[in-house]
Amino acid sequence: MRTVLFASLRTYARRYAAAVVAVVAAVALIVVTNALTSATKSGLFAGIDAPFRNAVGAVDLPTEEVTQKYTEKGGWALAASMQPVRTDKAMLGQEVMVGAVSTEKRWQWQELEAGRFPTRAGESVVDANAAKTNKVAIGDTLRVGTGESAVETTVVGLVDAPSMWSSPVYVTWPEMQGWKNPYVQAVLTAGTGDEADKWLNTDDYLTELQTQLNKEVNVVAYMVLIFAFIALFVSVLVITNTFSILFAQRMRDFALLRAMGATKRQVLRSVRREALALGLLASVLGLVVGAVLGWGIVAIVRQLAETAPLGEVALEWPWLLSAFVLGTLTTLVASWLPTRRLMRLSPLAALRPQEGFDVRGAGMFRLGLGVLGTLAGIGIIFVAVGWDDAQTGMLIVLVGCGITFLGVMLLGPALVPGLVRLAGAGLARVAGSPAKLAAANAGRNPKRTAATAASLLVGVTLTTGVLTGMNTIRAATLDEMAEQHPIDIALQAESEPLADSVVGDAKAVPGVADAVAVPGALASVEAEGKPVPVPVVAPPAGDIALRDLTVKPGTMVLSPVAASAFVEDSFEASGEKVTLTVGDRTATVTLDVREIDGAAQISAATLRELTTDPQTYAVWVRADAGADPEDLAGTLGVLAPDAELINGKAQRAWVELQLDVFTWAVIGLLAISVLIALAGIANTLGLSVLERGREHALLRALGLTKRQLRRTLAAEAVLLSAVAAVVGTALGVFFAWGGSEILIGDMLPDARFDPPVLQLIGVVVVAGVAGLVSCVVPSKRATKVSPAEGLALD
Amino acid sequence: MTQTSVPTMTAAARAVGLTKTYGKGATEVHALRGVDLEIRRGAFTAIMGPSGSGKSTLMHCLAGLDRPTSGEVMVAGQPLQNLDDDQLTVFRRENVGFVFQAFNLLPMLTAGQNIQLPLELAGKRVTDETRARAQMIADTLGIGKRLGHKPSELSGGQQQRVAIARALVTQPAILFADEPTGNLDSETSAEVLDHLRRSVRELGQTVVMVTHEASAAAYADEVVTVKDGHIEGVTR
Repeated sequence: MRTVLFASLRTYARRYAAAVVAVVAAVALIVVTNALTSATKSGLFAGIDAPFRNAVGAVDLPTEEVTQKYTEKGGWALAASMQPVRTDKAMLGQEVMVGAVSTEKRWQWQELEAGRFPTRAGESVVDANAAKTNKVAIGDTLRVGTGESAVETTVVGLVDAPSMWSSPVYVTWPEMQGWKNPYVQAVLTAGTGDEADKWLNTDDYLTELQTQLNKEVNVVAYMVLIFAFIALFVSVLVITNTFSILFAQRMRDFALLRAMGATKRQVLRSVRREALALGLLASVLGLVVGAVLGWGIVAIVRQLAETAPLGEVALEWPWLLSAFVLGTLTTLVASWLPTRRLMRLSPLAALRPQEGFDVRGAGMFRLGLGVLGTLAGIGIIFVAVGWDDAQTGMLIVLVGCGITFLGVMLLGPALVPGLVRLAGAGLARVAGSPAKLAAANAGRNPKRTAATAASLLVGVTLTTGVLTGMNTIRAATLDEMAEQHPIDIALQAESEPLADSVVGDAKAVPGVADAVAVPGALASVEAEGKPVPVPVVAPPAGDIALRDLTVKPGTMVLSPVAASAFVEDSFEASGEKVTLTVGDRTATVTLDVREIDGAAQISAATLRELTTDPQTYAVWVRADAGADPEDLAGTLGVLAPDAELINGKAQRAWVELQLDVFTWAVIGLLAISVLIALAGIANTLGLSVLERGREHALLRALGLTKRQLRRTLAAEAVLLSAVAAVVGTALGVFFAWGGSEILIGDMLPDARFDPPVLQLIGVVVVAGVAGLVSCVVPSKRATKVSPAEGLALD
Repeated sequence: MTQTSVPTMTAAARAVGLTKTYGKGATEVHALRGVDLEIRRGAFTAIMGPSGSGKSTLMHCLAGLDRPTSGEVMVAGQPLQNLDDDQLTVFRRENVGFVFQAFNLLPMLTAGQNIQLPLELAGKRVTDETRARAQMIADTLGIGKRLGHKPSELSGGQQQRVAIARALVTQPAILFADEPTGNLDSETSAEVLDHLRRSVRELGQTVVMVTHEASAAAYADEVVTVKDGHIEGVTR
């Protein structure tokens, strides 16, 4: 039987192409994931201990008091803060990470590349790479921060730092303490610390930190692995189908072997070994492809972005082994069902005329189970939608989605050919007999058609589900962002009013659609017997902001941060009454605390009560839709250097970008599954072409032109992929609806279910076009055979 | 007009100096070695010969399914050698009917759909007239009641009769039958051959049948014997 095994592998190697592609893609994805995570880890861990060289121990994420306690005793805070940074010429960035650099030698852990370390406040060092890209040199003056807490600092040195602790700019610690909330990752201690503060010695601390980072990187890796498993699942479908078709075509060979005296067991073992050989080969190939891709991607990223925290790729044995085993196992599992069918084979089949293939549809049991599953799943989703607890509800929805999907897959042999026939009848009106033939072809082997469609169904359902779900979340999140940050860019005065010229200058800046001066005053509120200065503004009516911000008379709208200056519990302060004082005039207002940008807002009437001479305390800018918010902020910031610059547009754009990046990363990973499914469609079609050689010859003899034959095959591929895409989209949108209904009302109170119609149409069109592409090779092969040759085929 | 056009008027198909060579060098096989043949219009011609004699190749060349290596073929007054693949396909569609030994019908279509198929491929609208004609032919062949069945639900003889009906429905200039009784028992064979002969007698259809059975050839008006790529003889 070994001769048979090797001969079969040689003869049918090309027909296994799709199966190999599927396994290679899934295995490679696992290996690439490992390559990227290992490079990320080695990048993060490289030099992670640099700041700790002279530390006895450290406290992770210390409170303000703990930080103060140890820094006073000669310790050092590993701190950073996001601040706007500009030179006298240009804005370097609105949100630049600014780290702390010590004036003491023992905490100067950065590596000096040029110049010297700071010796006093007002001096700073800049990361050598950041200096190069931003054209900053030693001796330049930087302005870091906004408003009155901004610091002027002179660059005295260029440094390099391990990526874990690296920031583009470092200023001295005392200067940083003036900023609202610097983030302290750890406070390093010069001596031993207290257990009560969760103090750890340096070795323990670093071990702990690495474990933590490992976990964080692994979480991302495991999320990517989900997509590898989806790809593997689709692979199972594609491979099962490939084996089913191949074995059906080779039934006569097997029967001949049986007739010649091979036992059932021998035949079975031979084909299972064939599957094993295929799985091993494809998995090895997957490892190689994955390793090459992984190294390539890391090398390219490091070339393009020098500061990216990527180190050396170090593939780990457990990962490689798992990928290899999973790939091989997938192939074996997928071949199991088709090979079992061989057990029913009788030697006599060799002597009977070949009936070609298994054309039976699905049994009543399968269809019954399918109907049951689909209905049960849909029922579960509807029940879950009304669930009170969102988390449990979400879990139930997921279960419902899974059951519905399985039900639809079981129904496939009845559902898919039926829909193809329906679509084919429509297409036949425009495309004529090729479309009719194609629809009939798709219905001739319902199980095969259904299995081919199912592989594409998985990817399309997940893609459209993610697109729809994310669209709802995205709309809700952006609405909330617009609610919180309705002003594109605001220049907010702190204690001194803005110069009258600012609004005119702002209007002249390119990219500014409109700018208004917002009247206000510096009021004060009494708290614990002392007056606390509270700048107030009276928002004007009009369309300067995304919504009307005018305040009801007698109310003061302010952020919790602003409220915390004079009330105990700022989050619970809504409804409290306070008295504002400007000079000798007063006004009592009711507080309305919510997340807003800038100074406290009152009505124009209240402002008139407080002062007869309101001054410009803010300038609000509406930007052109296409204007770059960072560029705009850079230019506007220069107009009023002492004002706080609030960039609502940039914040909205940033959130939007995050949502987009997340969505497209998921879609990109799902695309791998879709590609595998398309390889499956091409394969099914290619194998069908081989099988139908005689039929095509007959059709050609009867007067079907080459072009009509190509169109027939194209129509079959397009009908199949379009039906899978439409069914998948319907499922995906329905599943997303279930998920959104749970979120709406609980986590996203103002959200509306909002399917992205254009994107969904795009998915269906792309699937159809991809189906068209997948039939190019098979149809080329089909038309190469002349009718006379075809008729001679067995 | 000229003298040469006279024989084309009486011949349904004509081959002059036909050769067909497969492969090159050592593996070269001469399937046809210079065949001259004329198929009489309105007659039932049998091409006979043992397997490997070149009779199927001859039929494929006459029917425009395959191209000869050299020589000329004229069918229904149309020389085939200058037609490209598409033109040849359309020519077959309009002028030639086929009945093969097996795999004659498309398994996913019903008998009725199989019969209508050539009309559909030609992009002709299925009218009441064509439907009536198909029904008439089917009735004549005794399969009028089985048109809703798939081929797998029909017996071998019924399948061949459906194939004959399909070949007749376009009223082709010439009908080629390639071993039409090869898979049938003697009784069913006789029925099928009888149907072929009746279509010649009653409809004036030109039929060319390739066979290796003398009993089948006995139904023909003319028997052309082929051996080793030559025509050995023609009996009337």
